[in-house]
Amino acid sequence: MFSKKLLPLFFAVLLVLSGCAGFKTGDSKSADSGDKVVIDFWSFWGSEIRRPVIDKIVEDFNKSQDKIEVKHTFVPWGDIWTKELAAIAAKNPPDVVINDINATALRGQKNQAMNLSQFLEKDDISDRFYEELWNATLYEGDSYGIPFNTDTRILFYNKTAFKEAGLDPEKPPATWEELWEYAEKLDVKNGDTYDRIGFYPLWGVNSDVWMLNSDGKNFFDEDGAPIIDSEANRETLEWVLDWHKKYGANTINSYKSQIDSQQGNPFFNGKLAMYVNTPTFYTQIRDYAPDLDFGVAMLPEREPGSGNTSWGGGFVAEIPQGSKHPEEAWEFIKHLTDVEAQEYWAVKNFDNVANIKAAENAAKNSEMPDKDKVVYQMAIDNMENTLLTPVPVHAPDFMNLVNPELDSILLGKKSIEQGLKDAQQSLEKLTEKSK
Amino acid sequence: MRKKLNYKRMEGLQGYVFILPWIVGFIAFTAGPLIFSFAASFTNYNITSQMDFVGFDNYENLFTADNLFWTSLYNTLYYVLFSIPLTTAGAIFLSALLNQDVPGIRFFRTIYYLPAVLSGVGVYLLWMQLLDPGTGLVNTALGWFGIPGPNWLFDPDWTKPALIFMKLWSVGGGMLLYLASMQGVSKSLYEAAKIDGASSWQQFRFITIPMITPVIFFDIVTSLIGGFQIFQEAYVMSNGEGGPVNSMLFYNLYMWKKAFESFDMGYAMAMSWILFIIVFIITIINLKLAPRWVHYEGEER
Repeated sequence: MFSKKLLPLFFAVLLVLSGCAGFKTGDSKSADSGDKVVIDFWSFWGSEIRRPVIDKIVEDFNKSQDKIEVKHTFVPWGDIWTKELAAIAAKNPPDVVINDINATALRGQKNQAMNLSQFLEKDDISDRFYEELWNATLYEGDSYGIPFNTDTRILFYNKTAFKEAGLDPEKPPATWEELWEYAEKLDVKNGDTYDRIGFYPLWGVNSDVWMLNSDGKNFFDEDGAPIIDSEANRETLEWVLDWHKKYGANTINSYKSQIDSQQGNPFFNGKLAMYVNTPTFYTQIRDYAPDLDFGVAMLPEREPGSGNTSWGGGFVAEIPQGSKHPEEAWEFIKHLTDVEAQEYWAVKNFDNVANIKAAENAAKNSEMPDKDKVVYQMAIDNMENTLLTPVPVHAPDFMNLVNPELDSILLGKKSIEQGLKDAQQSLEKLTEKSK
Repeated sequence: MRKKLNYKRMEGLQGYVFILPWIVGFIAFTAGPLIFSFAASFTNYNITSQMDFVGFDNYENLFTADNLFWTSLYNTLYYVLFSIPLTTAGAIFLSALLNQDVPGIRFFRTIYYLPAVLSGVGVYLLWMQLLDPGTGLVNTALGWFGIPGPNWLFDPDWTKPALIFMKLWSVGGGMLLYLASMQGVSKSLYEAAKIDGASSWQQFRFITIPMITPVIFFDIVTSLIGGFQIFQEAYVMSNGEGGPVNSMLFYNLYMWKKAFESFDMGYAMAMSWILFIIVFIITIINLKLAPRWVHYEGEER
């Protein structure tokens, strides 16, 4: 064992060693690999499922040419963007980073992401992607990130339960009114508790999705003026509160915790008949309830003709400001968002991709089972209804002001009129202040 | 004479050499950023594209135009005001129990200290499950006694009590300090008191408590400073949102959101300096009050 004299020495050596380790990471970029330019690519895809898929895409790119070598670095979800920011500030950023699509314009405005128009002038790839996604990457007309993947919200419904309730399993609800009628029929009450609940709108999505669905309008208009206090939004919240009254807080809370626990989701065992979520929710059905007979549909309309508007998000690949090899990074981004890589990603991960052609190919891919294809096709069809809500560059943290008002309304601490009025006022104050 | 001075100087120099790693670390990693953040709190710094002098604008906006600043300050004060006395009293009570000479006491000491070893995100996720209103163990246990449990993390009136409750679970860390200090109290004091006919409570109140006041003082000062910086708990347990009706939007969480979500770094730096001044003043008051109640053995009062 260590004698008393040796112990301090041992610790000293340990300290020096750990010090060295700290300096190693940033250096590997200059590691020699012939004439190849090595670029650093950061993503948060480290899971058992996603890691091999993105690694394969990177490998394919590295093999396809002999000038650029991409090194993929996994940075955990909670750290990646703060680390990226620190690296940009230190003028030693990675060359390609996966980032949130909704704040792309903000990062453009703040000079964190590189303006990509210089590359797009040479090869314009904008028509590869859904327009709504592309527009979300623009700040003052220039793109600051290339869409990679996306999502949307669709309605899942239990066909067996539909049959039991005497409903046509091929005819999902088309309007909010029908949704309510169907739910009434699907409810199975047992004393004070429910054996089956038809539908509750705030499981899986928040009330803002329904406000978007009600009239296809975000909380801000085209000029950035807040329009949260609208007739449609008031009606939506009233509708949401009606559902809340119908089932009561106790039932809702206990179901909510089961939904949060994932494998205990009451939709899997038929205790919940209709549920709104992203198309990737299907992978959970596949894993936890493979025998469930279910259908998918677009979100119902508030009233006939108001539109099946849904809400989506996604991620972009961008070049941080100060990257040493932007040209090579651009080449890699093109590969990342091209049909082949995107289709591979879509099929292997069952994830919505931003490239239209790749998405359509994936829905027909022979590797995808029939059941998967149905859901995937619905996801594609629904892209037409899907709106994104990019954060306004002059009020990026506006949800901090809106959320407490919506919470107060749903908890019954404020009337709908008062809550929306207060939200409208604080948003007006916020936009005024930052102008 | 000259030789002696040299020796002294030599010794001083050696001293500095020994603390050099700390000095370098302090200047490079603490003092530098400290000065920078003070300077940048008077700018609209956003890390990447701008850093213009804006005078006292950030401070003025904080105090006059930002309601969330006051919300976050209120939440933090609420938390500190309740959690510090409760955890301190809890830790003293626990260590008094574990200071008894009964068989198997080591086992109990280990058990009560265990939660202090566990820390971080894992514990918070565990508590989110325990505090679940529908299926959580806490409400299930309350149900056995016919008490309908609150909605803990979903009810704005209960989120902060839930966090304080959670903190009480890990008083083991403070308990260890108190226990060590209690064991250092001379047995002869108790013996003398017993001969004079003092009850157990009197012994605790007039011997144990005064003898451990230095540790109580240390604990209160450090946990006050720590309490004002509460962040992780709220960040994890509210998914970084600040909880229902912003009831878990603590000062540091709001500061973090300003800095890394809105990229309003200058504003966030101004916030950090206001917090620094608050904590500084409270600590000074603590130090000034200390001689009135902290008892050091062998010290003349």
